[in-house]
This record gives sequence, structure tokens and C-alpha cells, in this order.
Amino acid sequence: MDADSDVALDILITNVVCVFRTRCHLNLRKIALEGANVIYKRDVGKVLMKLRKPRITATIWSSGKIICTGATSEEEAKFGARRLARSLQKLGFQVIFTDFKVVNVLAVCNMPFEIRLPEFTKNNRPHASYEPELHPAVCYRIKSLRATLQIFSTGSITVTELWKQACCTSLGSSALL
Amino acid sequence: MPGGGHCPDCGSTELVEDSHYSQSQLVCSDCGCVVTEGVLTTTFSDEGNLREVTYSRSTGENDQVSRSQQRGLRRVRDLCRVLQLPSTFEDTAVAYYQQAYRHSGIRAARLQKKEVLVGCCVLITCRQHNWPLTMGTVCALLYADLDVFSGTYMQIVKLLGLDVPSLCLADLVKTYCSSFRLFQASPSVPAKYVEDKEKMLSRTLQLVELADETWLVTGRHPLPVITAATFLAWQSLQPLHRLTCSLARFCKLANVDLPYPASSRLQELLSVLLRMAERLAWLQVLKLDKRSVVKHIGDLLQHRHTLVRKAFRDGTAEMEAGEKELRGRCQGPEQGKEEVASSSLNLPEGKRPASPTPLLPPCMLKPPKRICPPPPVSTVTGDENISDSEIEQYLRTPQEIKDFEKAQAARQAARSVSNPP
Repeated sequence: MDADSDVALDILITNVVCVFRTRCHLNLRKIALEGANVIYKRDVGKVLMKLRKPRITATIWSSGKIICTGATSEEEAKFGARRLARSLQKLGFQVIFTDFKVVNVLAVCNMPFEIRLPEFTKNNRPHASYEPELHPAVCYRIKSLRATLQIFSTGSITVTELWKQACCTSLGSSALL
Repeated sequence: MPGGGHCPDCGSTELVEDSHYSQSQLVCSDCGCVVTEGVLTTTFSDEGNLREVTYSRSTGENDQVSRSQQRGLRRVRDLCRVLQLPSTFEDTAVAYYQQAYRHSGIRAARLQKKEVLVGCCVLITCRQHNWPLTMGTVCALLYADLDVFSGTYMQIVKLLGLDVPSLCLADLVKTYCSSFRLFQASPSVPAKYVEDKEKMLSRTLQLVELADETWLVTGRHPLPVITAATFLAWQSLQPLHRLTCSLARFCKLANVDLPYPASSRLQELLSVLLRMAERLAWLQVLKLDKRSVVKHIGDLLQHRHTLVRKAFRDGTAEMEAGEKELRGRCQGPEQGKEEVASSSLNLPEGKRPASPTPLLPPCMLKPPKRICPPPPVSTVTGDENISDSEIEQYLRTPQEIKDFEKAQAARQAARSVSNPP
């Protein structure tokens, strides 16, 4: 594929993972009792809370650290995280929304061609790792962008990266391979 | 020289600090008299200030080889001997194990992981020397779980920064086929099922190469493909007596495990062979099916390069022609009519000529996945105001809380009744 070819790639962001802190101790038992749509995992010491809009799942620890997953954009992740912090405020905790950070972005893309994985691995030796006995895809790591790509023989590519723009850059550079 | 000191013996001021082993002493350099000496033992109050250093933090751990590491190194050597590997492999695997053991993450890992690490080091050594050894074999020998093995293997490759080449398919075919117990007659293997090793090996290699060219190997576990290819090769060498034997029975006779996906690979390989047969003039008239095509595998393999190249070229050309026709029809009915009318076959409108199914990668033959409509452009910025009414839906009302507590108490009571102490 040439760099000048004008085939547009549809990149779909399927998951954004973010973290934030509430700077206060959270009583998990109280959240489990008074919150709706919660699952209390006593053995591991966390509460799972699901929001409907935006559709995200939050993992809440008693230390005040919260991880939100399931959002389809960074803005949506922030909105969902703020909504969650607001719900905890309503429950009576002295929540301060701080240290918000997007930790991971997962995107999916389909190439319009098939890929012969053994040849691909041979030509991209240090970055690509292919173990057909373990996983049907090649794991390609771009160190500069800190991205991991899973390339399947059907042409489907899954990217996990730190932020959205780098996701698109890494997919663009993978198309050139 | 410390100031203000005189030797009590000779009165000299030439006093030097010289320690006798670990005891510091002040000695007169003229007559050798020991003026003062340090304390050898520590007092009780001094010892109160001492901190205990755990063994794992002391330097002693790095100097000595721990018992666990010694056991691991012995296991590496035993595994190499069981697999009958050359002695150079043993030394390399031992070196990798020692290198891995220097990392704190491995040193502090559980025994299960250290056991699996033995297999990882041997596997990496074999791969680097192109010795065909599968992960399944290593896991079976170590009684290890493949999930644990895969995690440890990926960790070790990353930690040691190793470049591990891929498994060589041809070598794996030779080793795997040699393990089939079909080359000598025995009470369990009748004479009609016994086969010559060289013939079977060469035919299996050709079938595996064909599978590789036709996209049946890429992205898949190699062993089921090789099992299916070996079965077809064995059947095709004497189809008269062997067509009635199933894949499962064949594996039982050969004393080999039947991998689960092998039957799907067999069907895929047979479909590829059928599509190749449709392009051979003397086989077109025979109207072959998946059973009868086995008899002609020899012919098909002889001409496989040409057939596959031709089939792929025809397949992509037909697909492109089909797409162009569809596009033409969509553009306008008149244009479509013209195109259909100009075709030399004079078929009624809307019908394409019957053509042999194109030989294409399996993913292209399957119906395309439902393409999700692109998500509507979201106007969420992340900093909007959140109204109270939106939050209320995530909180229980006081009545709901009371009902929930009642339900929990009732469940607890029911549990204690059913499980009396």
C-alpha cells in the first residue's frame, strides 16, 4: 500500500479506560447498600458500578481510586467519570475529582486485504511476534508510540494505545508495512 | 599521626593507627608498643541499633546458587536428555535458565512458574536451532497448563530480549509423521494399512505446502493441519482399502492424539482439492466429491503450482468482474441492460454464467461481517453540567434500602438454618 493511496480506513474506537482519584476514603459497604446497579466483591475489596449513560463500568476501591472502562471516546470517559464522582458525592462522601487520566484506548480497524502472517513476521523481525500455537494473531509493538497491534490474517487489526491520536498514527503506520 | 600522644615505653610521638585484622590499634612506629586498641566485641546498647538484613537482600544470595535454582538446572538437563537433544542444546538451555533466574521477578515466583520456566528455556533453545518442538509436547512432559506456559514464555522472551524464530513447518511435519505407528505391521495395524515412510512423508509435505499456499495454515495451530494432511496422504496412497477408515480411527491406529480442529482442516483441505480438480480437464468430467477426490490427489499434487496460481487469478478476476457488473447495474438500468446484452452467453437478464467456485482464502469466502454503522458524531465534551435528576437514577431510595436489608437478613437466616453449626 502506498503512502499516497487514498483508501480511507474506518477506525472504530471500542474502549477507553481511564482512572481518577476521589481523595477520600470510600465505604464500600455503604456504596453497595445505597447505590443502584452495583456489585460488591467483598473477597477482592472492590465495588463494580455500572452507568447507563454513558455506558461505562467503574471499579471502585476503598482507597478512593476508581477505574472506568467501556466508554467510546475520551470525552465520554471524562463525562462518565464525573457523573460517577457526582453520584458518590450524593451518597455523602467528600469527593474531589482529581488526577483524571486516560490510561488506554482500544481501537479496531479492517484492512481490505488478507495478510500472510509468517512472511509478515519474518519481514518485521524485532517488532513482530507470532506464535500460532498460542494466538492466531501477530503481536506488533511500536515502541515510539507505546502501542500494541494485534494483526489477524483476515486483515483485522486491534490497537491498544495511550491516547486517540497515537492510535490513529499507529494504524496508519501499520498500513504502510 | 594523632596529636598529643606519647609512647609510654620510649616517649616517641610517632604513633600510627594500624589495625590488627578487624581490631583498630594505635601503635608506636619506633618501638612497636601498642598504645591503645579498639573493642573487638559490641556492647548491648550497640547491638540494639543493629538492623537485621534478610537473606534475599544480602549479597550472599547472588553468590550462591540456591536449592531451588539447582533443582531447576537439574530439571533442564533431565528434560534435554528425555528429548534426546544434543549436548550443546543442554548448555544453552542451562545458560538461559541461569540468566532468567537473575531477575527478581523470576526468583520470587512460585514453584509452578519455575517448573514451567524449565520448559520455556528448552523450547527457546530448540527454536533457535530449528529443532521442531511444540509447546504441546513440552506441556505434556511437564504436566503444565498451557495458559501458565504461554504467560511465562512471553515474559521470558521479553525479559531476556531474545529473538525466537518461528517453528519450521517442514521439520515439524517430518518429526510428527515419524511418530505415527503405521510403518510396520503389528497386531493392531493390519497389513493393508501399513505404509512406506518416505512416500507418506513426501506426500504429506506436499499437502502441507498446498495448505500453506491456500491460506489454511496462516493464523492457525499447525498440528491439526499436519494431522489432516497425513491422513489424506495415507488414504490416497492406497485408496481402495483405506477410504472406509475415518480420521479418528486412523489416529487410533497410528497411536496419535486426534487434535480437535483436525476434522475442520480436513474438510477445508478436501474443498481446496475439489476446486483444483474442477480445473483439470480429465477430472472435470468425473464429477468428483469429497470421497472420490482422494483417489486423484497424486495427479492434483503433481500440477498443484499451476492449478493454484490459475485458480487464484481466475477467482480474483471473477470477483472483480462480478463487482463491476453489480456497480454497473446500480448506476442505471439501461447501462446494466447493455452490459448483460453484450455478454456472449445470451442469458436472461439477472443471471450470471455458472462458474466453478473461486479458490480464495477462507475469510473471503465467508459472508462479510455486518458492518456496524459509524457511530453518530458525539457532542460530548466531558465538562458539561450534571443535573441532580440524572444522578438520582443511580441511588436507591430509603424504602429500597430497607427492603434490601430485610432481604439480606432473610437470606442470612435461611443460610444459617440450612447449615446448622
